[in-house]
Amino acid sequence: MKKLDTHQHMKTPVVAARSVGTRVLRSEDPRLLTGRGEFIADIDVPRQLHVAFVRSPVAHARITNLDLSAIRDAEGVALAWSGKDVAPFCEGLVGEMAVEGCFPTTMPLLAGDEVLYVGEPVAVVVADSRYAAEDACELIDWDFEELPAVTNADAAAAGGPVANPQLPDNIGLNGGASFGNVSEAFDQADQVVAGRFYTCRVSAAPMETRGVIADYEWSSKALRLWSNTQMPHYLKYMLTAYLGFPEQNVEVITPDTGGGFGMKAHVYPEEMLLPLLAREVGRPVKWIEDRRENLIAGAHAHEQYVDIAYALDADGKITGVRTHALGDGGAYHLPPWSMAVEPWCAAVMTPTGIYDVPAAEYTYKAAATNKTPVGAYRGVGYMAGTFARECLADDAARALGLSPFDFRRHNVVREFPWTNPQGIVYQEGSWLQTIDALEEMVDYPAFLRRQAELREQGRYIGLGLSCFVESSGESTATSLEHGLGDVYHDTATVRLNPNGTANVTIGLSAQGQGLATTMAQMAADTLGIKVEDVSVQTARSTSHAYGSGTIGSRGAVVAGGAVARAADVVREKVRQVAAHMLEASTDDIELVDGLASVKGVADASLSIADVATAIYFDLDSWPEDFEPTLEATQAYDPSQAMFSNGGHAILVELDAETGFVRFEKIFSVEDCGTVINPNIVEGQIRGGVLQGIGASVFEELSYDESGQILTTTFLDYGLPTMDVAPPFEIHHLETPSSHSASGVKGMGESGLIAAPAAVLNAVNDALSPFGVVLRDLPLTPEKVLGAMSGAKAATGSAEGP
Amino acid sequence: MKPPKFRYVAPRTLDDAIEHLASDPDAKVLSGGQSLMPLLAMRLAAPSILVDLQHVPGLDGIEDQGTSVLIGARVTHREIERSSVIAERLPILSSAVVHIAHPQIRSRGTFGGSTAHADPSGEWPTILLAVGATMHAVGPRGRRTIGADDFFVGPFTSTLAEDEILTHVSVPTTRTAWSFQEAAVKKGDYGLALVAATGTPRDGVLLDPRVTVGAAVGSVRRLAEVERLLAEAPLTEAVADEAAVTAAASIDPISDIHGNSEYRRKLVASLVRRAVRELTNGA
Repeated sequence: MKKLDTHQHMKTPVVAARSVGTRVLRSEDPRLLTGRGEFIADIDVPRQLHVAFVRSPVAHARITNLDLSAIRDAEGVALAWSGKDVAPFCEGLVGEMAVEGCFPTTMPLLAGDEVLYVGEPVAVVVADSRYAAEDACELIDWDFEELPAVTNADAAAAGGPVANPQLPDNIGLNGGASFGNVSEAFDQADQVVAGRFYTCRVSAAPMETRGVIADYEWSSKALRLWSNTQMPHYLKYMLTAYLGFPEQNVEVITPDTGGGFGMKAHVYPEEMLLPLLAREVGRPVKWIEDRRENLIAGAHAHEQYVDIAYALDADGKITGVRTHALGDGGAYHLPPWSMAVEPWCAAVMTPTGIYDVPAAEYTYKAAATNKTPVGAYRGVGYMAGTFARECLADDAARALGLSPFDFRRHNVVREFPWTNPQGIVYQEGSWLQTIDALEEMVDYPAFLRRQAELREQGRYIGLGLSCFVESSGESTATSLEHGLGDVYHDTATVRLNPNGTANVTIGLSAQGQGLATTMAQMAADTLGIKVEDVSVQTARSTSHAYGSGTIGSRGAVVAGGAVARAADVVREKVRQVAAHMLEASTDDIELVDGLASVKGVADASLSIADVATAIYFDLDSWPEDFEPTLEATQAYDPSQAMFSNGGHAILVELDAETGFVRFEKIFSVEDCGTVINPNIVEGQIRGGVLQGIGASVFEELSYDESGQILTTTFLDYGLPTMDVAPPFEIHHLETPSSHSASGVKGMGESGLIAAPAAVLNAVNDALSPFGVVLRDLPLTPEKVLGAMSGAKAATGSAEGP
Repeated sequence: MKPPKFRYVAPRTLDDAIEHLASDPDAKVLSGGQSLMPLLAMRLAAPSILVDLQHVPGLDGIEDQGTSVLIGARVTHREIERSSVIAERLPILSSAVVHIAHPQIRSRGTFGGSTAHADPSGEWPTILLAVGATMHAVGPRGRRTIGADDFFVGPFTSTLAEDEILTHVSVPTTRTAWSFQEAAVKKGDYGLALVAATGTPRDGVLLDPRVTVGAAVGSVRRLAEVERLLAEAPLTEAVADEAAVTAAASIDPISDIHGNSEYRRKLVASLVRRAVRELTNGA
């Protein structure tokens, strides 16, 4: 394993918490909640034209004829391109993961001779209006010869018909590793519990769909690209690397964005095409994805089968774990995360969880299918892996006759730092306390009594538990420690103004997380000023601070670290001048609560505002050789992987007449180290858990055997709504990180990572009188009612005791 | 998701509306747009002319006529939800209206639009068939009335001619025993199964029971065997169970991604049982 040296930009200052930890109201809300946000669809560029795509109606076919002449002749059409027209500018986007056993693909911007999934862009039309563009799309003249559609990951991985000719074995990723003596653990096991768990294909379904506007000015070779991407700097890099636009003249603009959840953390063919179209037609071009396109062609997510087995000794301790993750990757690797990240993360990052398992073995495989490419979605890989592990933990508890709390407590890691079999170091955690806290919150004995009473009345309630460990603050160190080679860093700029207020710019685009609020808190405490005196600009343009992307639960950690480091540089300037003005040593100056004070000396203080004013306007206040830049840009990247932890207990009731799952209450425990803002952390928990409820019960992107997608509107793709959202009880534990700024850890993905396991465990608990255990998502009314009828669910791998 | 080109007219009189509708075989009535606008946006429909009824007078109002209530075709679901006449005289409509989509959509969608659309999952078709409502239509050949049994003939198909406009629905108020049951995964979703049951209670039995099922069987239809059973027996818990079994045996449910045929059969049985129990309470 490559170790990372600790660099200067990995050290963060120690500051007194004032606004950090408090429920500061989100500064974004008055604007966003009253309709004053400006989203990409709100933006109109003078002289703009509109773009629509012709997408493949079939899963797999060879195109034998493609004629765009009727489209080109249609009213209002400025340009129409097929794959042949765009290939000279860009052969396609190479997708792969930097790990052994990954086989890359090149995804054309528009399909070449073959279409590989329903929804793949085949032609693009630029016209006066979106109406005219869509009218013209209907005039496409084409013939294709249908080829066998590969729609099942198991069948694909076993060989047979080829989904994508670039991957002749249908394998986009194949690998594995073993740590500790796994064979011995299983050979000598008192018993082995094993199961195959399926997380269905879902969509992140952000409230705002994707959108791109491109404006190219030939005279200056300047490209402005509006995109609601989570990775504006990466997109900017790709525009130069793939399309040759001069980097110094490229600006990626990210307006207000209505949710990303990973779907917008990719670079898509549409984002690469728009700049080429704008250059070709000499006018700005705009494409707003409609909901049908978003469900068909935005990255799909989470579909995988995880086979997992625990070896248990006679004491009920887990002595070894074997995991095999098989992802259904779709037709291509979608850069940068690829179809590899889902099974790789599940296999590599999740099998031990909170459990003290001495030996672990895993394999991971991504199978190519004729379905939409799978990408990142909140808890990528972590969700499926946690789902398998935590549901297997309940299977093990049942096999041992232990309560789910007792089995977990029996196996939990109790001493830190703990090194897992792979050599990953977990510096700190409240893993045991999480189990204890949840058991107390749900009042388990009372629950058991109520469950028994209700069963007498023919009512079935169940309680499901799920504990998680979440890799957070995605960093170079995290990547290296897990055998990857991704390098990250972010910058922030902090400026102290003459009246003692501050402006902060960060390199992360925001999709609704409240980064402008939390980063103001981080800056305020570092500078010693009030949070309302700080204004934060999240990345609205690549012209400002640099960022590696709002991904991997890294926003608060990484932007927070960069803000703290930049603010610390400014703080040092203030301390130097305050020391001079107070005739004290710089080392003795503290900046807290708006004052620059001499440590231990009562009344020896100045307001920070007065010091700032003096730096700008009063030469006499300056110490010798003082340099008055009150603006600093600093980078940050965590020096080692960090892990937050927690758990959820979910209480459900099953309707014996309809098979509906009703959610009664969610109990959540979260330990993300120092909590910057409880409101925001709790919002992340509620939203993430709701998405987990969706992915468990209501949502599935369905395909038929011919590879046709059946869920193309919200009529058929069911998102959870407020009326199925139960009340939450949330408990915070705080085990600060040893090395991040203020001890903050990331937590943006934990709700979705852990909730589905709690949902399945709750449903299986409720089903226990029927002798049926379900293992496949989603838990449709049909499956649940089938289970309550004692029958094996028709489509799942349900099994009896 | 932009509609193809169409002509739009907003006539000020019913005669003009009929004239526009009759002028082109592909002309369609627009009355709220709850179902038609999504069909246009998905390009699943491409009418030549949309004849918007919103400015046509005389199609609104909810009028208590004693043994029936006359409901104008342009009355919105929201107006039904808020109507004291409906709440008092036709509580089955009040109990069903909250299952129709969400408040914003209920404010646009109309009673007549949904009835004429004859969606097999529609609350109004299921109920109008169960209460034996009478549809009032007008077209180039004049006015006529159509009984519910002769109106709903298949999925998205009524006996309304292409050049006719539904103007009112007359809903009898004499069926004082009623129940409406809908199983939808979430509020506002299309129901997986709908059941409506009505009758006139007299001396512990139900006169002229009518029981209908929607959504689960691909069209809106009556459950004749269940109706026969209820007409012949006192309403007891045992009869409710028997009605459920009878219903399950007498239908051929659809299968789709939201539930297979076997599941829907069980669901309809459960809803029929619940409905008959409620009738028992009403009687």
